[in-house]
Amino acid sequence: MASTACFVIVSKNDIPIYEAEVGSAPKKEDLSYHHQFILHAALDVVQDLAWTTNAMFLKSVDRFNDLVVSVYVTAGHTRFMLLHDSRSEDGIKSFFQEVHELYIKIFLNPLYLPGSRITSSHFDTKVRALARKYL
Amino acid sequence: MDPLRSYLGRLLLEEITPVVMVLSTPLAEATCRKNGLSFVDMLSPFSLFKKIDVPVRTASEVPYRLQMFKIRMVYASDVRKEDCEVADERIKPVVSEANEKALPDLLSDPPQVEDVLGKPEAELCPLWIKKFNRELMRTLSFSEHETFDHPVACLLVVSSMDKEPVNKFVDLFNTNQLPSLLNEGIMDPQILKHYLVLHDQQEGPQDIAVNVLAEMRSTLGLNDCKLLCINSSTEAGGSNAENSWLPYKALGLNNHDGSCFLSVDDLNEIKDFMQDFVSNHIIPYMEQKIRVLNQQVAQTRKGFRNQIKNLWWRKRDDVPEASNGPMYTFTSIESQIRVLGDFAFMLRDYELALSNYRLLATDYKLDKAWKRFAGVQEMSGLCYFILDQSRKDAEYCMENAFSTYLRIGSSGQRNATRCGLWWAEMLKTRGQYREASNVYFRVSNEEPSLHSAVLLEQAACCYLLSNPPMLRKYGFHLILAGNSYYMSDQKQHAVRVYRNALFVYKQNPWSYINNHVHFNVGRWYGVLGILDVAIKHLLEVIACSHQSLTTQNMFLTDFFHYVQSMGKKFDVYKLQLPVFNMSSLKVIYEDHRTYASDADVSVSESTWQELEEELIPSSSIVRTNWLDTQPMRKYKDSCICVAGEAVKLNVELKNPLQIPVAVSGISLICQLSTTLDALSSDVSGLDLGGGEDKVNTEPSISMFETDGDKFTLSKLDIVLGGGESKRVQLDVTPKVEGILKLVGIRWTLSESVVGYQYFEFDAQKKIKKGKRGPRRSLNNSLVVIKGLPKLTGSIDRMPTKAFAGDLKLLTLNLRNHSEYAVKGIKMKLSSPRFLIPGDSLDIGLEFPDCLKRHMQSESSVVSSKTMKENFKSLLFAFPQDIEIQAGAALSWPIWFHAATPGNISLYISLYYEMGSSSDIKYRTLRMHFNLEVLPSLNVSFSISTSSSRLREYIVRMDVMNKTPSESFVLHQLSCVGGKWAVSALPSCSSINSVGTVSENQAVSYFFKIKDCEADSCKEAESGSCTSDMALCPGSSTDLFDIARSPLADFHYQERYRQGKVAQGPCSLLDFVLISKAVGNSSKPTPDFELLSHHTCHCSSLSQNPIWWLMEGPRTISHDFSKSYCEVNLQLVIHNSEAHKILVRVVTFDVMPEKSQTVHPHDSNSAQGGWYDVSLENDVKAISSSKSTHQEKQSSKSISPYVWCSLSCAQTELQPDSCARVPLKVCIFAPGTYNFSNYELQWKVHPSEGPHVDENEKLLSGGGLGHPFYVTVLQSV
Repeated sequence: MASTACFVIVSKNDIPIYEAEVGSAPKKEDLSYHHQFILHAALDVVQDLAWTTNAMFLKSVDRFNDLVVSVYVTAGHTRFMLLHDSRSEDGIKSFFQEVHELYIKIFLNPLYLPGSRITSSHFDTKVRALARKYL
Repeated sequence: MDPLRSYLGRLLLEEITPVVMVLSTPLAEATCRKNGLSFVDMLSPFSLFKKIDVPVRTASEVPYRLQMFKIRMVYASDVRKEDCEVADERIKPVVSEANEKALPDLLSDPPQVEDVLGKPEAELCPLWIKKFNRELMRTLSFSEHETFDHPVACLLVVSSMDKEPVNKFVDLFNTNQLPSLLNEGIMDPQILKHYLVLHDQQEGPQDIAVNVLAEMRSTLGLNDCKLLCINSSTEAGGSNAENSWLPYKALGLNNHDGSCFLSVDDLNEIKDFMQDFVSNHIIPYMEQKIRVLNQQVAQTRKGFRNQIKNLWWRKRDDVPEASNGPMYTFTSIESQIRVLGDFAFMLRDYELALSNYRLLATDYKLDKAWKRFAGVQEMSGLCYFILDQSRKDAEYCMENAFSTYLRIGSSGQRNATRCGLWWAEMLKTRGQYREASNVYFRVSNEEPSLHSAVLLEQAACCYLLSNPPMLRKYGFHLILAGNSYYMSDQKQHAVRVYRNALFVYKQNPWSYINNHVHFNVGRWYGVLGILDVAIKHLLEVIACSHQSLTTQNMFLTDFFHYVQSMGKKFDVYKLQLPVFNMSSLKVIYEDHRTYASDADVSVSESTWQELEEELIPSSSIVRTNWLDTQPMRKYKDSCICVAGEAVKLNVELKNPLQIPVAVSGISLICQLSTTLDALSSDVSGLDLGGGEDKVNTEPSISMFETDGDKFTLSKLDIVLGGGESKRVQLDVTPKVEGILKLVGIRWTLSESVVGYQYFEFDAQKKIKKGKRGPRRSLNNSLVVIKGLPKLTGSIDRMPTKAFAGDLKLLTLNLRNHSEYAVKGIKMKLSSPRFLIPGDSLDIGLEFPDCLKRHMQSESSVVSSKTMKENFKSLLFAFPQDIEIQAGAALSWPIWFHAATPGNISLYISLYYEMGSSSDIKYRTLRMHFNLEVLPSLNVSFSISTSSSRLREYIVRMDVMNKTPSESFVLHQLSCVGGKWAVSALPSCSSINSVGTVSENQAVSYFFKIKDCEADSCKEAESGSCTSDMALCPGSSTDLFDIARSPLADFHYQERYRQGKVAQGPCSLLDFVLISKAVGNSSKPTPDFELLSHHTCHCSSLSQNPIWWLMEGPRTISHDFSKSYCEVNLQLVIHNSEAHKILVRVVTFDVMPEKSQTVHPHDSNSAQGGWYDVSLENDVKAISSSKSTHQEKQSSKSISPYVWCSLSCAQTELQPDSCARVPLKVCIFAPGTYNFSNYELQWKVHPSEGPHVDENEKLLSGGGLGHPFYVTVLQSV
């Protein structure tokens, strides 16, 4: 498992709708804003890159020092962004794919307003379990 | 675009130029000092030639012309590699100088997206950044591995005042004073020497100098000696001299102390000297050197043979790896190639330079001289760039150089930086901004914080310039730059870059980013002393609920720190702490509807309206004529409140932080305009213009405070704990008539910050709300009308919790606070099952004694007021003569009965009319109570018919105590209506002793009830036939009269309610069980005294339409020795049905076997109170004791008796009548007999009418006889 991993789902309006620190490193207050900055800046790259390929998994799109940003773009242009320092691309891909399935389940919920914050604790638990499994 | 015209091209032309080393005597320097300049300073403005137009011929035969040319004049003492720290110190002022310029900028508004995107590159990258870049590159001057900084020529300067000037020249070029580069053999000490005699015109005539020059020419050579005369101007700083300096000032010539003796002639002479020096000496020398070196290189290195040799030689001679490769002296071929390349570069023969650099690169690579290799790569990259040949090659070379420099560690770090800067400039020239910013970012990692800050800022600019602009990257890199600036103590710069990034993060939902940016900007503004802006930014972060406790604390502490250093209270519009939940806003005002408590307001208006339907006069009644309606119409659109009565505003506030927050002085901002003329026009205007109005009034918050004499405001201080939300109620009491406008809320946070917020009234919303009823609308303007009487009301001791059946006498207290009387009071209650108003007589009575039966005469009082068939709600009019005078109070009894368990809401609306005429004719007082009724006793009855008596029933009462801790004493059981008499069973007269039911206990009681009316027996008169029965000892004397008003009324309600649920075929009778609470040791005084449980519509379990009974003697003495015994019996059959019934009685002698097994009552009587007890065994026992021959008979299974007379009889019974069928039995032996061997079969004849409906199944049926025991004794 990666020591640092910050997973964020960004809606198509560039609003983070789900955030989770899934790394094994103890969470630090000052790092969380740092991670947000990196991920937020990486959106610029994703914006360009997303239209150049048919694949949903864009692999690593941006890096900051030793931290890498991997991105997965859904058909609705919701972006799953993972800031990580591990190298296993396959694991990240599987992680993204499984999270996508979870996300679709959330999306199918008639009470969920697309683009609003995901507050489901079930989703959170599942995502963290997936992170432990793949990252 | 011509690469040379680009910024990088110009940079290279200016920076990579021949260096002239200057050696001067102290006296010569002193001469220049008179003008406040050093010698180098004096000459340097003239070292740039914009149009030198010199023909140059290098290695190739074709000459070309140089246009612009520049040389660098450097003192010999400066020709050395600078110390890193010293160099960095020199850079610092460049940054801090820009600092001061940035300060005024910081006070203006931060830039917006449109501004930034429209800016040209030059503005984004201000001049000081370029200066900084240049200074950063210059720190690398005179490095060993590059030769373009190595002096090309040497200028030796001697003053004409010096003694023995020729010897001085020799001394000057003394080897031990020369720079280490020359001494250590890195560069060729045999360089071009030029000799200059400096003559000060003020010191004496020119002749001395001319003599010196002649002497020099003879010894040092004819062409290499020059004379320069300066300071010819006599007066210091003449006006003409000022002017003549002007063109050169821009080139960096600044004399500091104003005194200047240089005349125009002097300057021209200097210029001429420099022109001659460059065009006649330096350039030809370089040309020559290039040609010589080129020839050498061609000889040793060019050609196939040389290449092979070179390779073989290098392979064999494997040099040990040093950090920067082997030492190369100026004589080595590698150094010579490098010099050749650099010279060619400086003379713009880039082709030649490039070919040499490439040649050299392979050599250095083989030698593993990495630093030199990187340097060469760097230069070839630049050559590629200027030649504009292969972009790929250029980039490859630069990248190669960059990474190689980085690889060799700290010694190459700064080189890498320079290489990066060049590389980035190169990419920028080609429009590859994104790559450029990447390079800047990589460079910034290698530099100390100050440098990296500037570099990061440049990286950010590149992101902005890239197409499409990458704003988020721009923001991020600016933030990084800001952090670096802050770390290197450049706060102004830090604030400046953060400010520039603000627009990227404006309205940003990425919470942590937002907080970080605003907090840092705010804090740094605070450090800089710009407190108002600091507070403005800190305000954005103080309501951060997602941060940890420590962070919140830090934010808040800083905020208050700056607020306090501001030294005054200040107003903040829409302060985020605490958060006022504007959707929870509710205005409570009372027009004709008044409320007993605030909780009553939350009840929906429709509930009240439904309740008040019959109570209040319909609107047409109020308007007696059209004139009357005028004032009402005027206020129709707006809400009305009454002067002197508080308008309340409910709002929820929430503390988003985990830290307790003290909020004080929460009050409303109101406006009261009294101009009644403007009223009508204003009312409509206010509704529509609410939005704009707010904008207009926003800045002037203080103006609302002046209205103190028109209304009073309540102030509220609270402390909100972490994450707590509280509902507060704010009052405004208007004192005069007019229009009251609720504008907003103001509050003080921690005694230092005043927050205020205006209500936002959306016009569109208002239309929607208008439909929902005026109470809920957030209309902010209220019409204040003249004071009106107002009643306040409450019910004393109204329980919130009660046990089911609880009966209480409560008091309704009404008080008139105004100075007018009210009259015509009416009251409507929502559920008369729970509350029934008493009458005025009840008020002084003592409960519960008043319910007791005092005298027999009073028992037949029938209350008439409840006989209205309205069970949903109860309208009660107070007597007409009741009027509540000003300041008076009225008490009225109200009976309370907790009818059923559950949560119950009770609504009471009180109507009253004004004593005096006023705008409003009447008002209503609305009261609302929520009640929780707990289950107490569960009472159920089951009634079964008695088989021994007609019209008598056995009643089983099951009482179960459902409470966990209370015990009850059963006091009384009553049957409602005079028809029934209840009494204890004779066999269990001891029932009175078990009157207490303790918690969770279930008790069953058996009673007998009797129909008094039908029987009309004498018992009724004897008094033993009463409808009440005392259940506990000693209570027989004080029984409650259930026919009196409250109990009877409540019973009436219960009967109605339960009638809805009951669905038996016929309802028989109602029971009322009255119980009392027992004060046990733990609870000496229970808060309830009397409970009454009403069970209505109880009916017999028996389903049979007929009811039969054997009558006859029970004991007979007969002398069997004479004859058999004949017993005359009568079967009494009663028809309780409303139809005619045909009954057939069949007797049979043989005992049917099945009679024991098939029990007609089996299914029904399982729960009932009546069971058949078989006495068969007893019969045998008795008979066996009497005589033995009886046994024989019975063993033969012959019936011991024989029915005589008829075996079958048929009668027809009229409805509700009896018939008697005579029967006769013959008995042959003494004993006890059960005459039950008969069967009844009946058939209902439905009377003429459509009554043949639901009880089809009961139309016919049959039943076996009841046991009837007769004991026959042998008479003696």
